[in-house]
Amino acid sequence: MSLPVEIVLALLVWGTLVGVDLVSLPQMMIARPLVAGTVAGAILGDIETGLKLGVVFELLQYDILPVGAVRYPEYGPATVAAVATAHASTGVLGLGLGALVGLVTGLIGGITIHLLRRVNSRVVHAAAATLESGDPRALVRLHVGALLRDGLRAALVTAVGLGLAWIARPLLAGVLSLRDATLLAIAVVAAALAAGAAGTLRLVGRGPNLAWFAAGLGGGIVVAAWLQ
Amino acid sequence: MRFALARALLRLFSVQGSYNYERMLGVGVGVAEEPLLRDLGDGKYRPAVARGAHFFNAHPYLIGLAVGAAARAEHDGAGPDQIERLRDALCGPLGSLGDRLVWAGWLPFLSGLTLAAVALGAGWVAVAAFLVVYNVGHVALRWWALQAGWTYGSRVGVALHHPVLQRAGTLLGPAMACAVGAALPLTAQYLAAPFPAWARLSLAVTATLGFLALRWRAGRLTGLQLALGLAAGALAAGWLWP
Repeated sequence: MSLPVEIVLALLVWGTLVGVDLVSLPQMMIARPLVAGTVAGAILGDIETGLKLGVVFELLQYDILPVGAVRYPEYGPATVAAVATAHASTGVLGLGLGALVGLVTGLIGGITIHLLRRVNSRVVHAAAATLESGDPRALVRLHVGALLRDGLRAALVTAVGLGLAWIARPLLAGVLSLRDATLLAIAVVAAALAAGAAGTLRLVGRGPNLAWFAAGLGGGIVVAAWLQ
Repeated sequence: MRFALARALLRLFSVQGSYNYERMLGVGVGVAEEPLLRDLGDGKYRPAVARGAHFFNAHPYLIGLAVGAAARAEHDGAGPDQIERLRDALCGPLGSLGDRLVWAGWLPFLSGLTLAAVALGAGWVAVAAFLVVYNVGHVALRWWALQAGWTYGSRVGVALHHPVLQRAGTLLGPAMACAVGAALPLTAQYLAAPFPAWARLSLAVTATLGFLALRWRAGRLTGLQLALGLAAGALAAGWLWP
């Protein structure tokens, strides 16, 4: 990956905003892979690649239901790194390599979210007496400190993802044949479709919504066959 | 009070900013509630701020109901125990209602429509429309929740039975199921477009086996683990296969 510095900086800023949006501020869903990937593609002047990888990671996102204190991978900055990897690679090579870098970045992002929450727990525990005094300045300071830590975390995850993109392209692109690249792309797209279907069925359940799911699936198959 | 409510609303957008395993969203809730407590008397303000930052967990978009209700109860002179009980009573219902309406309804419904639209060639316009439409609902829900909490105070349970919420809960489940169901084959076709024929067949088989594995090992195998495992397998196969 050989990109101008201003493009790398723009991707880093975008990945950081995306990472902060996931949980902390303002949860307007720029963290959704479809949005994160499309804008990353626009920054790189390659919206089609951004859309394609955005779709792959959006499907994987269906596997996640962010309820309670559940731990999950972070696919927003991961999609930004994936698009940066795939940019300018033709066809299936970009898709497979980009998704692989994105998956590793998503795994790292999920671990950092868990670590950040543990750090926040310690800070809150240490400040328990101050919080019980009802000092509003201490309360806001603690909250803003946690927000800044999340910003730093998101920037680090994006930087690691972009670093992986920088390494992966020369390391793997040169040694993968077209067949190898196709196998890799099949693997990640298949996993994304499987995760999308399984995650949706978990949301739908066995009740009356299952019939609506079947109706939608049937309609989608008819349209896809008609467009073939 | 409108200024204080607007300030609380802005702070609510960062309610999860200090997410932690000790008080969960409590600190963020305290920060959002604080502007609504400023005109309490000297002896009441600080204890109310401290109470606001106690343990709390619910859906972030509906937390405004708890913030507004607790602040109104403080103004109405409710006792500390009564306010703690009100907060405790709201955690579960606000969590389950928000999860059902937003995480399992509004969000996957619009995401499914967007996936289908992108697969059909709508491009970035579909993504922009998703962002705008989603956030119209998102901001409206946050604002309504805060206002309803402030209006009803300790009787906030009445707001949870609002007809629009009931209707939305009834409609969003089937709409989400139908939209994502339709999106799946369309996105499969979209993603398979650059593959040769043998690869499309392999994709269909691998996706089916992956789906069965995720259903069979539900709760133990995640989509990420499956994807990383299959990718490692594909790289190994390419390396071993002459």
